[in-house]
Amino acid sequence: MSEPTLPATAELSRRDFISTGLKLGAAVLVAPYVARGASGGQAELKVGLIGCGEEGRVLLNAALKIPDIRFHAVCDIWGYNRTYGERLLRKFGHDPKPFEDYREMLAQVSDLDAVIVATPDFMHAEHTNTCLKAGKHVYCEKLMANSVENARSMVLTARETGKFLQIGHQRRSNPRYLQAREKVINEARLLGRITNINGQWNRAVSEDLGWPERYAMPQAQLEKYGYANMHQFRNWRWFKKYAGGPISDLGAHQIDVYNWFLGANPGSVLAGGGVDYYTTHEWYDNVMAIYEFATAQGPVRAFYEVLTTTSAGGGYTEYFMGDEGSLKMSENPAYTKLFREARAPDWEQWVKRGYIKKPGVPDPGDVPLKPWEKPRPKLGGPSRAGVVDVRETAALSSWDLTATLDKAIHQPHLENFFDTIRGKAQLNCPPESGFASAVTILRVNEAVAARRMLTFDPKDFVA
Amino acid sequence: MSQNSSSVPAACEYTAAFLLLRLFLGLRALFGGIEKFELNGTYSIENYTANMKRMATGITGASFLPLWATKSFALPLGYLLIALGVALLLGLKMRASLILMGLVYVALSFGLMAVQEGDGVAWLGVHLALVVGALLLVRYNRFAVWPDKHE
Repeated sequence: MSEPTLPATAELSRRDFISTGLKLGAAVLVAPYVARGASGGQAELKVGLIGCGEEGRVLLNAALKIPDIRFHAVCDIWGYNRTYGERLLRKFGHDPKPFEDYREMLAQVSDLDAVIVATPDFMHAEHTNTCLKAGKHVYCEKLMANSVENARSMVLTARETGKFLQIGHQRRSNPRYLQAREKVINEARLLGRITNINGQWNRAVSEDLGWPERYAMPQAQLEKYGYANMHQFRNWRWFKKYAGGPISDLGAHQIDVYNWFLGANPGSVLAGGGVDYYTTHEWYDNVMAIYEFATAQGPVRAFYEVLTTTSAGGGYTEYFMGDEGSLKMSENPAYTKLFREARAPDWEQWVKRGYIKKPGVPDPGDVPLKPWEKPRPKLGGPSRAGVVDVRETAALSSWDLTATLDKAIHQPHLENFFDTIRGKAQLNCPPESGFASAVTILRVNEAVAARRMLTFDPKDFVA
Repeated sequence: MSQNSSSVPAACEYTAAFLLLRLFLGLRALFGGIEKFELNGTYSIENYTANMKRMATGITGASFLPLWATKSFALPLGYLLIALGVALLLGLKMRASLILMGLVYVALSFGLMAVQEGDGVAWLGVHLALVVGALLLVRYNRFAVWPDKHE
């Protein structure tokens, strides 16, 4: 069999290849510098972080995506956490100085504009108040403090110093929650009169946190910073000395949404709970509470449960129920849904205004984005799948919100804090709001201990 | 002999095969570059910068790669893809353009390997296979504005 006859071709010499590659490459390599010149332009904020543990890392990862802020200091009493925070920041091109003691941080890096406090609850007041008095704006993680008095001191210090204090109830800056509150509930009034709320955060059984033995802090160092031992330092959330337990850790986010969405504080709380399962925890591992709110539209009864022994019921939701519609909210869009009662007025106008969308209409935002992907472009008009779904299923009472969040869930709240410092925004969770939520939440533990309904005086919510 | 000659593709078939690959890879690269300027339905350099910074930050956040490395790659990427797309469609120095395109896909795959994005790596592997196929057929290239020497 003869060889196939192929046309003669020339070989590409190494010189030709390099020459052509350079010509093609030169034009594209200068292009990003043109693009870079078009971005940013605002003054850089110098930021410090106190607390590089679990929550501190979440906030760091969210803050690293915000332009024009630069971390100049990280502080943690545990070298293991401190090194993690420092390395993470260096990977992203920051040059933070590491500190064990936050007072040294404030003294040595005196030109910080803002400090993020992500330490255990019992240290929030001390860290926040000292930073505010040192002239720094502060973003402090929720729960604002582990006692009402500590929380009150933070409000007063913020007022005295005139510095901004944002409390980390991050749902208040989430565009999905903002749309639900401002557009769906308050403007369009799609729920009608809200009569009930049902919220939960259920988590499966989890083991206590450990630590690499060679990185354990000496006992003297632990005691210097107020910890009994390494186990309590790592598992501070479960001990009464340091925090408020699951109702404060998990419930705080959602019960804050109750107050915020209703625009009211509760009048009473009835609660039950106990250390039913864990032998190494001090705080109640299961809590159920019922609040009563007196709103302008009438009374609202609100149930909340936080269970740390089962994930039954599917994660974390806040379910607002009205006589014309119900809204199941969650930070997880997959759990979020709006339901229309048959007696409710037509909702078409709110679809046209872009407040809600019909079920089955796919949105590119519904497909979770990877951190490195950009939002996908939206296609015009209802999709074929949507039409088929509307025609063939009876689920006409189920609707969706249109707002999406394509950032880390803490990023908008941090952005709101930094924008406020720059004079471009107002705090979405100022200390007064954080205080009212802290009062609302801390009273649950009191009600569990008292085994009876406790009432609130409106003055209780004023610092 | 006639049996043999009918089983061997004629030069024009190789030329057509290469032309199809060239068109596909050129359009894919061109639109892959252009879409990086899009955000919420609008195209701009600001959007490009935001998108590419998101890409760099996202990869760094999920891998061992430092931000300076991911940014250095991401910021010129869109322009590079557009340039390569145009080069393939017009027929500019086809061998060099294809090799450069293959290197871009290998580099993109490396980034996705670092974040353990297996589906994306496989997707890019298909692109790389097409580039390899194009390189094997490049000697049949026709209709080039700036052909390789002796082409």
